Amino acid sequence: MFPNTGRVAQREYLELVRSRLFAVSTVTLTVLAIIVALLPIVAKLAEKGTISRVAIVAQDQTLAQATIDNLNVFLNKPTKQFEIIQLATEAGAIGAVDDRQFEAALVAMRSPNGRLNFTFHMGETIGDSQIQALSIAVFGVALLDYSTRNAVSGFELPELNLLRSTGSGAGSVPFSASNFASRLIVGAVFGVLIFITIVIYGMWVAAGVVAEKSSRVMELLISAASPRQLVVGKALGIGAAGATQYMLVLAPAILTLLLEDRIATALLGPGAGISPSLQALSPGLLLGFATFYVLGFALYALIYAAAGSLVSRPEDLQIIALPLSLLAIVGYIQAILALTGGISGFIRFASYVPFWSPFVMLTRLSVGRVEPQELLISIALLMATIAGTAVVAVRIYAAGVLLYGQRPGLRAYVAAARGR
Amino acid sequence: MRWDHRPGAIRVGPGYSRPVSLIIEDLHKRFGNVVALDGLTFEVPTGQIFGFLGANGAGKTTTMRIAIGVLAADRGQVVWNGTDTRELPRNTWGYLPEERGLYPRMVVIDQLVFFAGLHGVPQDLARRDAMGWLHRLRVPELAERRAEELSKGNQQKIQLISAILHGPPVLLMDEPFTGLDPVNVAMLREAFLELRDEGRTLIFSTHQMETVEAMCESVAIVDRGRVVVGGPLREIKRATGRRMVHLSVDGDHRLAWLAGVPGARIVRPGIDRSEIELDEGMEPEALLAAAVAAGAQVTHFEVADVSLEQIFIDHVGRPLDEDLHLAEAGGPVAPGEDAA
Repeated sequence: MFPNTGRVAQREYLELVRSRLFAVSTVTLTVLAIIVALLPIVAKLAEKGTISRVAIVAQDQTLAQATIDNLNVFLNKPTKQFEIIQLATEAGAIGAVDDRQFEAALVAMRSPNGRLNFTFHMGETIGDSQIQALSIAVFGVALLDYSTRNAVSGFELPELNLLRSTGSGAGSVPFSASNFASRLIVGAVFGVLIFITIVIYGMWVAAGVVAEKSSRVMELLISAASPRQLVVGKALGIGAAGATQYMLVLAPAILTLLLEDRIATALLGPGAGISPSLQALSPGLLLGFATFYVLGFALYALIYAAAGSLVSRPEDLQIIALPLSLLAIVGYIQAILALTGGISGFIRFASYVPFWSPFVMLTRLSVGRVEPQELLISIALLMATIAGTAVVAVRIYAAGVLLYGQRPGLRAYVAAARGR
Repeated sequence: MRWDHRPGAIRVGPGYSRPVSLIIEDLHKRFGNVVALDGLTFEVPTGQIFGFLGANGAGKTTTMRIAIGVLAADRGQVVWNGTDTRELPRNTWGYLPEERGLYPRMVVIDQLVFFAGLHGVPQDLARRDAMGWLHRLRVPELAERRAEELSKGNQQKIQLISAILHGPPVLLMDEPFTGLDPVNVAMLREAFLELRDEGRTLIFSTHQMETVEAMCESVAIVDRGRVVVGGPLREIKRATGRRMVHLSVDGDHRLAWLAGVPGARIVRPGIDRSEIELDEGMEPEALLAAAVAAGAQVTHFEVADVSLEQIFIDHVGRPLDEDLHLAEAGGPVAPGEDAA
């Protein structure tokens, strides 16, 4: 089994890594990965020149200054988002908004009963998130103004502690917004990487089988090595080529992320406010990624190899590629949902389904909390499915590689899977 | 008929001067509605070149695939030197499939080393022997070229080398001469004889009857999945009881005078040479005398056995190059059996 599997794997690996396709796709993915790694800095760079200018007009200087001070407290910490400037008149402020000198004007007036009235004059560039921030800020201004003027006893600004659960009975740890953001980034990157590579490398396996059939070298191969050796060798070789491409793509991207702070300082100046994207990248998560990449690829490679054996021409590959891609896409979509919408019951279930767990469980590992037994069950189910799929896939492959000129139908798959 | 299947058991088949090493026994195989093999049985003596003949779709490729173990028979078995071939390692066989194929972008020498490696040949030995065979087939310059850059004939030579590089005791070759020019056919014939002299058993299918007659001591003719005649070629010919004369004349090659000679008729007319069959009681000398009497200028007169092609037509009912269209007969084509 192993010498021939190794020889087939070595041939597949060398042919692939020496191909133009590999070189072009590696360069393209490397450039994309570096761009993605630089996105937080680019976003900051883009934000740098877009601090919203808000004009303040108040009934008196005391109210104006109190409003400016409190808005600065609520809106401009830790990062300055608004530049708040006092103007003399409401008409002048509105005119300045019309002339696009300011994004908005805030007019603060006090009623005879002491109540504060705020009026926003918004320009065309002000957005929902900025309105929301300003609304919350003026609520805070009013609250502080009231407490100052009415000598409320015992009123204190609330202290907000954010904690994150670490597991049943294990207590909680302080929630770190930057760490959570990093986990989202890592989860998103891992999700995209594992999906793209499983589908792309899986297609390489199918395309390789079809190429061997269409060039008719298959008959020579099958007379020299067993179907099991050929399928496993091909999956190993292409999987290793994929891992090589991973290294080549990820090394410069990770280096970029490691230098993120320095690049940000150089481009944005000191204190640019870039939180390290890799802070959530732990050895455990990397191991999880490697495990689910290897197992996920093994499962899909077997399926792609079997499906590829049932078509004779490269142009027929799309017939089999679409349903297999859809299967992976369903898992990927759930992973994205897990990333953005929290872990629902169905997503928890999906993280055990072998065809989806490489995507969904990996995302859960990145952004959520996974109990060890959950992880073990998911991996065990995946491995059991790989073993079962291998038996069926090798049967289909053995029957399919000698079929020429017939488009695969469901009956063909079933008959081949039954070893007929 | 039952064979002694004990490992190492060797038997001498009827009419054969050498021990039989390969026994194809009662093979049955269906593909859907198509019966590809219907109790196919024959035997091949050790160290011979064996001709496996049949129209397209007759079952030759299916038989070879079952023999080397890439296809399973519905019933029956193939035995090599007393062992069921399903229990034999793959490197027992050298296989040259009908459809030629190599890795298009792979360098020739690397392909040869790779395929030999799959059969367990160490890399350095495979490289050395591959270069030896490339020289033997007069194409050493192809070693570092990609397969896609080679002509069909040269690709065929490379594939033949890949089939024999691991030194298999038995070679199965499906149409090895197809697509080769006469010079390369002669070269290949020479190589086959060399392999036979090394003690290997060679089985090949071909449409070139003269090649079979020149090289094969034994043949099997298969039709619709059954052997219709098989055994030592000489005995098969003798068993027909037919006598033939090969006649060449200067002048009118249509041999109009032959119409007046009772007991003699042309079975294969030709401009250069015609084949004439003699009925029982008609002697060759009488035919020669009739030719001379008719004024024909005889340049060649040879008493010969019936041709293999004639035997094929007698048993199969049509010439070998008249394809059998299984697909048109009401079913899909068996995998690998060329219906075109």
